[in-house]
Amino acid sequence: MDEKISPRMVLFIESLLLSLIGLLLLFSASKGVVIRFQAVFLKQLVWVAGGIFLFFGFRNFDYRHWRKLSLFLYFFFIILLILVFFVGHGRAGRWIRIGFFNFQPSEFMKFVLIVGLAGYFSERQVERFSVFFGGLCITMVPFLLVLLQPNLGTAFLLLIIFFSIAYLAGAKRAHLFSVLTTGLLASPFFWMMLKDYQKQRILIFLNPWKDPLGKGYNILQSKITIGSGGIIGKGFLRGTQTKLAFLPEYHTDFIFCLLAEEFGLIGVLALLVLYYIFLKQIYNIMITTKDHYGRLIGGGVTALFFTQIFVNIGMASGILPVAGIPLPFLSYGGSALLVSFFCVAILYNLSKNSTLF
Amino acid sequence: MEDRLRIFQKVIRAALFLLVLQCLYLQVIRFPHYRRLSERNCIRIVEFGIPRGEITDRNGRTLAIDRTCFNLVFSPYDLKNPRRVAELLTRLIGADLQLLLEEFSSRKGNPFDRFVLKRNLTQEEISKIEEYAFQLPGVFVQAGIDRTYPLGTGSCHLLGYLGEVSQEQIDSMKEERFKPGDRIGQYGLEKLYDVLLRGKAGGYQVEVDALGHQRRVLGKTEMTPGNSLILTIDQSIQEAAAQELEGKAGSVVAMDPRSGEILALVSSPGFDSYNIAKALRAPRQPFLNRVVAGQYPPGSIFKIVTETAGLELGLIGEHDRVECSGEMTLRDRVFHCWKEGGHGWVDVNLALPYSCNIFFGTLGMNVGARNLLDYAKLFDLGKKTGIDIPGEKPGHLPSVEESGGSLNLAIGQGALLTTPLQMCQLIAVVANGGNIWKPFVVKKILDPNGKIVKEFSQELKKTVFISEETLAILRKGLKNVVIFGTGASSRISEAVVAGKTGTAQTAHRDFQSATYGGFACYADAERPTIALVVFLDNAGSGQAARIAGRILRKVFNPESAEATSSETTVEFDDLPDEPVLVAPVVEERGAI
Repeated sequence: MDEKISPRMVLFIESLLLSLIGLLLLFSASKGVVIRFQAVFLKQLVWVAGGIFLFFGFRNFDYRHWRKLSLFLYFFFIILLILVFFVGHGRAGRWIRIGFFNFQPSEFMKFVLIVGLAGYFSERQVERFSVFFGGLCITMVPFLLVLLQPNLGTAFLLLIIFFSIAYLAGAKRAHLFSVLTTGLLASPFFWMMLKDYQKQRILIFLNPWKDPLGKGYNILQSKITIGSGGIIGKGFLRGTQTKLAFLPEYHTDFIFCLLAEEFGLIGVLALLVLYYIFLKQIYNIMITTKDHYGRLIGGGVTALFFTQIFVNIGMASGILPVAGIPLPFLSYGGSALLVSFFCVAILYNLSKNSTLF
Repeated sequence: MEDRLRIFQKVIRAALFLLVLQCLYLQVIRFPHYRRLSERNCIRIVEFGIPRGEITDRNGRTLAIDRTCFNLVFSPYDLKNPRRVAELLTRLIGADLQLLLEEFSSRKGNPFDRFVLKRNLTQEEISKIEEYAFQLPGVFVQAGIDRTYPLGTGSCHLLGYLGEVSQEQIDSMKEERFKPGDRIGQYGLEKLYDVLLRGKAGGYQVEVDALGHQRRVLGKTEMTPGNSLILTIDQSIQEAAAQELEGKAGSVVAMDPRSGEILALVSSPGFDSYNIAKALRAPRQPFLNRVVAGQYPPGSIFKIVTETAGLELGLIGEHDRVECSGEMTLRDRVFHCWKEGGHGWVDVNLALPYSCNIFFGTLGMNVGARNLLDYAKLFDLGKKTGIDIPGEKPGHLPSVEESGGSLNLAIGQGALLTTPLQMCQLIAVVANGGNIWKPFVVKKILDPNGKIVKEFSQELKKTVFISEETLAILRKGLKNVVIFGTGASSRISEAVVAGKTGTAQTAHRDFQSATYGGFACYADAERPTIALVVFLDNAGSGQAARIAGRILRKVFNPESAEATSSETTVEFDDLPDEPVLVAPVVEERGAI
C-alpha cells in the first residue's frame, strides 16, 4: 500500500490530470452562448493527445542531448521570432502558420531558453561577472524580440527564467541587483524606442483602468465570477457568468474563473494542491539529482510553471495587473500545452537518468 | 545550491498561500456580495459622453462646442415588451411608433450597451419620462453631450458634423475601440481632426435593479477631454458671408493675403447637422463644399492672368490700344464682346475695368495658349492649394491641345477649371505682390489644459515674380473695375476695393446651374488685409460684387452692419456682364 510512486510518474500523471481538468472546463465553456468554443474544445483535445504523444516520444531521449541541441535551437527560434514580424498573423501577430496549424515561436522560446541557459551556466563560473553578463545577453535577444511583438507576458517570463536559473546557479546577489536596477534605469530609453501603439498596449497592461471598458472591466467581472462560486460552486456546466460571456477570453487567460465559478473554493483548493504537488515533484527530482545541468533545468521549469500559475490566478483574482499569461495545462492553446509536456518529458528523463548514478 | 533551492520552495509556498487567502476572501467572505451581483447580472457600464474639444475662431469666439444635454436611451438587454414601451413613448414625447419599433428591434446588445433614442430632451419631456419610469423598463434619461454649432449651416462645410460611427469604421479602426452609437467626425474639420478632437471615454460601472435603473456606482474611470482647435476664421466675417448667401447657391471665401489665413469659408446651400438624412435628398448639392470642390471655368477673372502674361512678356505696353467694334472674326467664326456696339479704342487701363473680350481675346492670341497655360500654372491654377480641409479638388489645367484655344483661354472660357479658393489665391497674389501662401484654417491645437500642442504658421508655397510696373498697372485696373467698371456694385465708402468680375458657363456636371457670376477682390487697395471671392450659381457677377461689397463693409466698419447699400450708385449692374464664348452660345448671340 505504501509503495512509493516515483516523482516522475507523479509528474506525468499530474500533467494528465491537469489537462483533463482543462478539457472539462473547455467542455463546459462550449455549452455557453459563444459558439466558437465548441471548436476550441475539440482542438484542445487534439493538442492534449499531441502532448501525450510528445511525452512518450521524448521520455527516453537523454536530457543531456539538449545541451548540444540548445545552441542550434536557440538560433533557429531567434530567426523564427524575427520572421514573426514579417509573416506573423493573428492577434498581435504572434503566430506563424505551418501547414495546418499556427504556432507561437515565443512559447517554444521559453523551453529553449531554459535548456540553453542551464547548459551555459552549468559549464562556467557564474560568480564571474562576464559569465553572468553573457547569460543576460543570451536572454535579452529573445526578450526584446518578444517584447516588441508586443507580448509582454512572455517577455516577462523569459526574464524570470533568466533570474531563477542564474540565482540557482549561484550568481552573486550584487550582480542580480545591479542588473535589476540598471534595467529599471534604462527602461525610459526602451520606452522612447517603442511605437505609439506599443506604448498604448503597455500602458493598458500596467494600468487596465486606462482601458476602462476593456480589461479594467474584466477585473471586476472576473472577481464577481470567482466570488459568486462560493465554497461549493454553482456546479459543473451551471456557471452563469462565464456562460453569458460576461468575461471574454475565459477559455485562455481567465479559465481559472470558470473553475472557481463552477467548482467553488473546493475546486480552487484542489487545483492549487495539484499544482503544489506538481512543483514539489520537480523539487524532489532536483534534490535527488547530482547533475548540475539537470538541476538548473529543473529550476528553470519550476520558475516557468510557478510564475505562470501565480500571475494567472493572481490576475484573475485581482491582486496582480491583467497580463496575458496562460495557466499551465488548463488554458486553451496548443503551443503552450506542447511546451508543458516537453518540460515534463525532460524532467522525467532527468529523474530516470539521475537515479542511475 | 540547496539553500537557494529551499528559498525557492518557500517563495512558492508563500505565493500559493496568498492565492488561497485571496480566493477565501472572494469566495467565502465576499460571497454574498458577488453572488448577488452575478445572479442578477446587474453590472452595467455607463459611459460619460466624451467631451469633444471646442472649435473657436481667431478671436476665441465659439464655432463648435459640446454642451450637456439629456438624452433618452435604452438598453436592449433590459427592455421588456418593446411594443408597450414604444406606444407609451409615442404618447409621452410624440415619437414615431414605427421608427421606435425599428430601433428597438435593430439594436441587439450585451448587457452593457445603451443606445440613444432621442437627443436633447426638454425639461417637460424629462419629467414625463421620470413620471412613467416604472412602465418603461430598459428606457431611461441619461445625461449626454450634444455638439452645437452657433453659426448653424453657416459653418457646416467648414466644420462638418458628427455622426454615429458606422460598422465599417468600427471594423477599420479597431485600435480606437469604437462602439455602436459613438460619435465620429464625418465631414470637414470634425473629420480631419477627429482623432485630436475626440477625448477618451470615462465611465461608471453601476449596479442596476431589475428594471435596469441605476442603483449604485461600483467604480468610476475619469475621462480625458479632447483637444481644442483655434481657427484662422473670423466669426463675424463668416457670419456676414453666411447671411449674404442665405437662400442662394454659391460660395464665399476670404483670406488674409499677407499670410494665407482663411478668414471665412462658406458654401451654400448648407445642411443641418441634426438632419443629415434630409440634406442628402435635397437639391443643389448641399454636401458640396463649393469653395474647395466646386470646379468652374475662371471666366473673366482669368483676364488678370492674361494681362500679366501680356505685360510681363512685353507683348503689350500700357498704352497700346485695340479697337473693339463689338465683335471679331476668327476663322469664319464670329466672337462677340459682351457690349453690343463695342467699347471703341481701349488700352489695358480701360479694357480690364470694362472686361473687354475683344481686347483680351486679341491679346490672348498674341500671347498664345502655351504661354497662357504657363502663367496659369505659375499662379497654381488647376492645382490643389493644400488647404487643411478635406475634399479639396484640383480643378483642371489642360494641355495646349485640349485647352480650347488661346482666345477662349484668354477670357477664362477654355478647358481650364479652377476652384473659388484658387481664385482667392490668385487675387491675393496681386494684392501682396507675388507671394502664394498656403491657405490654412487651423491656427493652433490646444490640449485640455490650454497648452499648445501644435501651432501652424504661415507657409510660403512660392513667389511669383511680377515686375513693379506690371503690378502697378494691374492694381490700377482692378481699382478701376470697382470705380467705374463691371464691379462697381462692390463699391463702399469704408475702404477702396480692387477686384475683377467674371461670368462663365459651368461645364461641371455636378451643377444644375448653367452659369455663375463671380467676383474676386481685395481691400483696402493700398494696404490689402483681405482677399475675398464670391461665386454665385445662376446669377450675374454684378450680384456677386454687391455681396462682396456688403461683406467688406462689415469687415471695415462693423458698426454699419445694418446700413444698406443703396448709397452706392450702380452704373454697371449688368446681368450678365459678358456672354459665354462657347461655340453654341456664340451662334445664338450671332443670330440676335
